[in-house]
Amino acid sequence: MAIRVNPKLIDELRKYGAEDVSMCYHCGNCSAVCPHSQEPYVFPRRSLRALQMGLESRMRTSIEPWLCYYCGQCSDQCPRDAEPGETMMSLRRWLISQYDVTGLGRYFYRSWKAELAAVLLVFVCTVAGLVLYGSSVGSIHVYDGPGAFLPSEAIHLFDFLLAGALVVFLGLNAGRMWWLTMIKDRKERAPLSLYVRRIHLLPLHFFSQMRYAKCGDTGPWLVHFCVVFGYVTMLVLIMGFLEAMQAGPEIRWSVHAFGYAASAALLVATLMMVRARLVKSGPQGHHTHTTDWMFLLLLVVLVVTGIVQHAVHRLGYETAANVAYVVHLSIVVTWFSRYPFTKWSHIIYRPLAMYFAEVRREVSGTHARQSAAPVAGPQLQGHAA
Amino acid sequence: MAEPRIGVYICNCGTNIAKVVNCDKICDSVSKLPGVAVARTYKYMCSNPGQDMIVQDVKQLDLDRVVVVACSPRMHERTFRKALRSAGLNEYLLEMANIREQCSWVHDDEFAATNKAEALTRAAVRRVAYHEPLERLSADMCPNTLVLGGGIAGLTAALEMADAGHKVFLVERDDHLGGNLARVDLTAPYLDSARDLLTERITRARESKNVQVMLGSALKNLSGFVGNFVATIGPAGSEGRTEQETSVDVGAVVVCTGYKEFDASRITYFGYGKLPNVITSFEFERMLRAGRIETKEGKTPQYVAIVHCVGSRSQEFHGYCSRVCCMTALKYAHEIKSALPDSYVSDLYIDMHAFGKGHEDFYKQSSEAKTLFLMYGKNEHPVIKRAAPEDGCEMLIEVVEKLSGEAIEIPADMVILMVGMEARADADRVARLVNISQDKEGWFIESHPKLDPVATTTEGIFIAGTCAFPKDIPDTVAQARAAAARILGKIAREKIEIDAVFAEVNEDLCSGCRMCNELCPYSAVEFDSEKRRSRVNSALCKACGGCVAACPSSAIKARHFTDQQIAAQIEGVLL
Repeated sequence: MAIRVNPKLIDELRKYGAEDVSMCYHCGNCSAVCPHSQEPYVFPRRSLRALQMGLESRMRTSIEPWLCYYCGQCSDQCPRDAEPGETMMSLRRWLISQYDVTGLGRYFYRSWKAELAAVLLVFVCTVAGLVLYGSSVGSIHVYDGPGAFLPSEAIHLFDFLLAGALVVFLGLNAGRMWWLTMIKDRKERAPLSLYVRRIHLLPLHFFSQMRYAKCGDTGPWLVHFCVVFGYVTMLVLIMGFLEAMQAGPEIRWSVHAFGYAASAALLVATLMMVRARLVKSGPQGHHTHTTDWMFLLLLVVLVVTGIVQHAVHRLGYETAANVAYVVHLSIVVTWFSRYPFTKWSHIIYRPLAMYFAEVRREVSGTHARQSAAPVAGPQLQGHAA
Repeated sequence: MAEPRIGVYICNCGTNIAKVVNCDKICDSVSKLPGVAVARTYKYMCSNPGQDMIVQDVKQLDLDRVVVVACSPRMHERTFRKALRSAGLNEYLLEMANIREQCSWVHDDEFAATNKAEALTRAAVRRVAYHEPLERLSADMCPNTLVLGGGIAGLTAALEMADAGHKVFLVERDDHLGGNLARVDLTAPYLDSARDLLTERITRARESKNVQVMLGSALKNLSGFVGNFVATIGPAGSEGRTEQETSVDVGAVVVCTGYKEFDASRITYFGYGKLPNVITSFEFERMLRAGRIETKEGKTPQYVAIVHCVGSRSQEFHGYCSRVCCMTALKYAHEIKSALPDSYVSDLYIDMHAFGKGHEDFYKQSSEAKTLFLMYGKNEHPVIKRAAPEDGCEMLIEVVEKLSGEAIEIPADMVILMVGMEARADADRVARLVNISQDKEGWFIESHPKLDPVATTTEGIFIAGTCAFPKDIPDTVAQARAAAARILGKIAREKIEIDAVFAEVNEDLCSGCRMCNELCPYSAVEFDSEKRRSRVNSALCKACGGCVAACPSSAIKARHFTDQQIAAQIEGVLL
């Protein structure tokens, strides 16, 4: 069955940042220079081709964009300035919007106004909600204990509710990603046993991002690792030890050792990322989508409000601590409300992609050996397709 | 016949000859042959001291024949003929034996090679004894020129001649000048208007007192030879009516008859003629010139597809590349995008040939204008089908796309077929009239594809532009000017020199059977109906010897290739 060419799709992808893809004339230098391009996942040229031709179904089921960490060597080598690296980045943005079952991501990626409006709306609503709630249960002048404005048990419960909602959305999106990359349009299905045998890849890639380190220069990987380390540490602290952290100010400083290390790593690494995009250094710094700015700026605000809130709390200014807490929590909610729909969701798509890619490779390999016929992914089929 | 005095000069050609052939041994044996007055060897006979040696010997030893035993006469016959002339001998009293290309370069065995070289030398010595002094003939060069075809090539050649002050007869079949270029809107890659290119030329040709434009007319007959042709010109298409014909004297002819486009209805899978919005490139040019791109139903097309190599580079039709279609297709992409910015242009090609000046940049600009380039295999082809109503387009083009390896279907509301060039249907008639040859595709054949691209095997007949092979406007104009330059060179010399080597009919022996008339590949043999004898036009004769061998009465003699000379040569080899 012939696939329909959709010449309009390239215009759609422009909104996701793929501006120069029509310049590509398929010399293949990009695929040759890419440190991650390896059978059966050869990219970026093939991904660029699918995009140029608007082969939507092929793009939607492809796993290749997730195997790219944007070292930028392909874009450096490109004789036509088709920016293959940025094209892969754009494809990741587009895939996030495609995995998203709510469809909200599509609005955020295509219109910065829609995104900004959503961010402001969530922020204002959360502030209003928290103030109303706080006023009904306690006093703004009491930070902890009886009569507290925002009692830690309630906030802890709220956190869990928020996390639960996120897990549901992320789970649905991850399920859709699995269906698109592993089931749809695929001839051979991976047995459950294979999924089980390779499950260790999921935490491995989640925590180490080791493929990023193989991009050549390990600097960007280190910065990225710091962000993930700080972020995950803070997540564990908040979800597990919120009551202990909110107590005080008389408790010992050393309780916060992990939190300080994580915050420092998060703040420094995030500011380095912001700087790279401001001065346009490094391959990713040259192309910043509005969603990238929103992501980084919210993260900076999140960290800074957290630190301010902690500082005034430790200094014993209870009223100020409550105000800062409302602001910080509202940022947290704003931040997490975007989580499943835009960039941050790559935290689960990346390790999932590594995991799925390996399972898919193994099942294709077995299949090929058994049938002695060339079998590859839909992106990789030869002429006989 | 008095004993001739022959000088034999054996060249070592450095070590080219001497390393395999024993030149001294040949020198010894040849000097003993009857009639040989002197035999010498030398390192390089073609060098100035080598030539001087021959000149001195001719003068001092009173030689009357010279044999040079060296390389191919194609290499140095001119050199040694000149030496003979400067020594006061007739240049045709020279014979060359080729012991380089035919001996030392092709044999390893010194003994056998030397024996063979000796035999060839003996043959030359025997032959040269029968050589006769011959004189070159000359004829006047008529300064008028006949140009066939009023396209860009014909116009350019005609103006070039006219500007130099010579009379030109510009013969055009159509009722207007401009040829195929007049059917084109813009030109690639600089998007200049074809009309602008032509108008200036047409106006100048019409106003020039040196150019006689003959519209609606065609060449009916051409007789004579270089410098002295008589061309009969009559109304195009009316065969056999002689009262409207005129005869003009011309010295040379430039054939610029151009091409015709491939007939797209010969290909079934494109649906041309059945699907109303599958059109040829020339039909699209007409739309562009009218300033409106629309479907047959009068709608603006959203999806326009361009298919390259229609009739070109295929096993079924023409194997060659038509050279201009790739850039023309890119030109269409530009024109469509600028006229209809919301449209999508797909370009289906086999290979993108962007070889000319400015072409690669033009290709890049087309990518910037977001033309979707789709590559298909040389031995595959797209198939165009009518789309279903729910497809949202008029047609679907099915093809296996090479760069993705996918079987795809491309939406299209209008498909432009880039029809290639082919030889005109009447090219064989023109070829017969002016006595030039065609290749298997019908294109006129040049004298040498690299070194003599506008001359033909018939002296005084030149070809320029797309009648010889598909080419673009710059190449066509360059050829037209080259042909004009060649003719201007001949006119400047005023005389046409005719080689002394040609066939002659002995009228006493000729029976008037006319067998030779039909046989001559150069139409050099005429029949004198009064005398009832055949006669060779020495200016047209190339001395191929066909008539000599065929004549049942042995009435034809080829000068410089007489029976006696050839028999003596054979004897020499066999001795």
